[in-house]
Amino acid sequence: MTSIEVVESNLAILVFIIPTIFSLIIFAFGRFSRLLREGISFLGLLITFLISAAICQKVLSGYVLSAWNMTIYVDGLSALMEILGSLMGLVIVFYSLKYLKRHRPPEEVTPKRLSLYYGLLMLFLGTMNWTCATNNIVMLFVSLEATTLATTFLIAFYWGRRGVEAGYKYLLLVTVGVTFALFGCVLVYSASLPYLSGHEAQLFTSIGGIAEKIPSSIVLLACAFFIAGFGTKAGLMPFHAWLPDAHAEAPAPISALLSGIVIKVGVYALARTAAVFSPSYSAVVVFVAIIASASMFLGICLALVQDDLKRMLAYSSVSQIAYVIEGIGLGTYLGIYGGLFHLLNHTIIKGLLLLTAGALVYTTRTRSIQELQKIPKKMPITLFCFFIGALAIAGMPPLNGFMSKLTLFLAVAQRGLLWAAVIAILTSLLTAACFVRAAYRIFWSKPATQLATNPHSKDVPASMWLGMGILALLCIVIGIYPHLIHPILDSATQCILKILGG
Amino acid sequence: MIRGNLIVTLMIAHLIASILAVEIRNLKSATIALCVQAFFLSSIFAAFAHLSNNPTLYWWSLTALVTKVVVIPWLLLVYIRKLPKAEITPFMGLTFSISIVSIILVIFYRFIHTYIEFVAPTPEAMVEPARSCLTISFMIFALGLYVLIARKDAIKVVIGLCLLENGVHLSLITLAPGLPSTTFIGIATNVVIAAWLLLYLTGKIFAIIGSTDTSILSELRR
Repeated sequence: MTSIEVVESNLAILVFIIPTIFSLIIFAFGRFSRLLREGISFLGLLITFLISAAICQKVLSGYVLSAWNMTIYVDGLSALMEILGSLMGLVIVFYSLKYLKRHRPPEEVTPKRLSLYYGLLMLFLGTMNWTCATNNIVMLFVSLEATTLATTFLIAFYWGRRGVEAGYKYLLLVTVGVTFALFGCVLVYSASLPYLSGHEAQLFTSIGGIAEKIPSSIVLLACAFFIAGFGTKAGLMPFHAWLPDAHAEAPAPISALLSGIVIKVGVYALARTAAVFSPSYSAVVVFVAIIASASMFLGICLALVQDDLKRMLAYSSVSQIAYVIEGIGLGTYLGIYGGLFHLLNHTIIKGLLLLTAGALVYTTRTRSIQELQKIPKKMPITLFCFFIGALAIAGMPPLNGFMSKLTLFLAVAQRGLLWAAVIAILTSLLTAACFVRAAYRIFWSKPATQLATNPHSKDVPASMWLGMGILALLCIVIGIYPHLIHPILDSATQCILKILGG
Repeated sequence: MIRGNLIVTLMIAHLIASILAVEIRNLKSATIALCVQAFFLSSIFAAFAHLSNNPTLYWWSLTALVTKVVVIPWLLLVYIRKLPKAEITPFMGLTFSISIVSIILVIFYRFIHTYIEFVAPTPEAMVEPARSCLTISFMIFALGLYVLIARKDAIKVVIGLCLLENGVHLSLITLAPGLPSTTFIGIATNVVIAAWLLLYLTGKIFAIIGSTDTSILSELRR
């Protein structure tokens, strides 16, 4: 294991303070002009991205950034999440510029509503970065719940019946779920008190060192609370009920944000809490593997029967996130590495697929695969992006999904969970069937009616396909040159292992 | 001992107020019951602060007083004024519901109080009054969950969520009395914002479908 040095740095604080300040500026002045909402949010995201990049650079040099007496602790895992969050934020804001303005009638996208949209987007990024920066087990609950509060109105953005219903479900289910996690956090904190000081008992970095001293009954109860709580946020089955509705009813860029980043915050919290106990308690590994295997298999089975494209992608997220959780839950280097690799890949792939779904909705005004089949389309860029995403998520070489899934299969088999490896491979085959079938039906089956003059059948504007193109390119580049992202993944894995080993 | 008895009395009053908040069908009265329940929670924090000579817990008490006794009931009353006053008829009648609640409470009391070592990670949490406090916190958590599952009125669901959260917050006094007041303020503020957002969305739902019945929010069910 490489040596890691903890250094005090303001970057660890700025990464969540800056987007929060920018969100307040947008809330206050965003309604007055496009520059003050779209321009400011773009500037805020760019600065956050640069800060995240600077953090990555420090982390890759062997440092961990801390602040406020170790309450803020930015290691490789935090850096990975923060850079992914700001990258996706940039793509989403750029995509939203045209999507929001042209997708709905002007009365539904007033300047006031748009300023709320961009403000909440920045606020979400701030709260997410705070979640990833905090080293305090109870504040993790507070910040994670804040991410839920920041995204509720984004899901209900159009304020139609279905959007409001989806927002209500999301807020209620995730809040209740995360309250379970609070119980788990408090139990672990309390169980650590006999071995640590009051301040240290709140820090993940200290709890890892005494994890094996905590009574097994408390560990199992706390892990059950963590999985139910943070698993709800992550969309893990059977706590996933909010996810298909929220994905389907939110504007496409927000769906991409949900699948790409929001559910990953739940995974991040699991990696910081439940994973701490994996090396000491093998029952936790088996428990996580059972839940993850059920989630990945049932998730893709439900995706197969969906006609709504966005719901299909949402159920696929339920399935794919289980790969990530299974890998991290193994507690081994290869498992955590594979889990984080798939986390990164899933962010890119699902972001890409949901943005292409948004492009299809934008041009055809329907999410139904059956109806999409009937509409002729001249959308070569969207088609290319969708196919790249579909093949990548199915784990086809040489795309990025293949590399991370292969790592995960090997890690699961290496841990002796052959049954779980078989389920993971079977799920991957079903994913391929699901996505190839959907892609064929949407783009290649012959339309029933030839609407050659359909004005909506052309490809989307450049501001929309640019983000899709970047994500598609990343799928290819990471697939062919996985060593490019190895340093940050290795650093994130080492940081988790360091906490596990105290 | 007298102080210990005071805490047990406050906890029993807290539990009775919780049951009233669940079973009263008039939403305004149920909100007042929730307000009283939260007041007892705040009093329990203050009593523990006095008993254990822990000034941080006075801040907890003050935070609970502001957020749970004043702000959340006020928000509920503001929205109840705009929405139907009576709870949407639940799936279960009053007698049946009280029977179920009694069974849930007895099971949770017997199980948690008897097998406290499974949920109490420290020896201090296993002795009175902390033991009863932890037991009652789980009972109130279960009551909150019961409301979320068995009731279909959106306002009652918010009351259920508040009970659920209050149950967890009561457990903090036993499990984490050393938590800084800023952390507790963060936890309590989250609940206020979540309750406000849920009430706002409930208002929107009522404006769209003319009802606060969550069982008819089925458009997205496939």
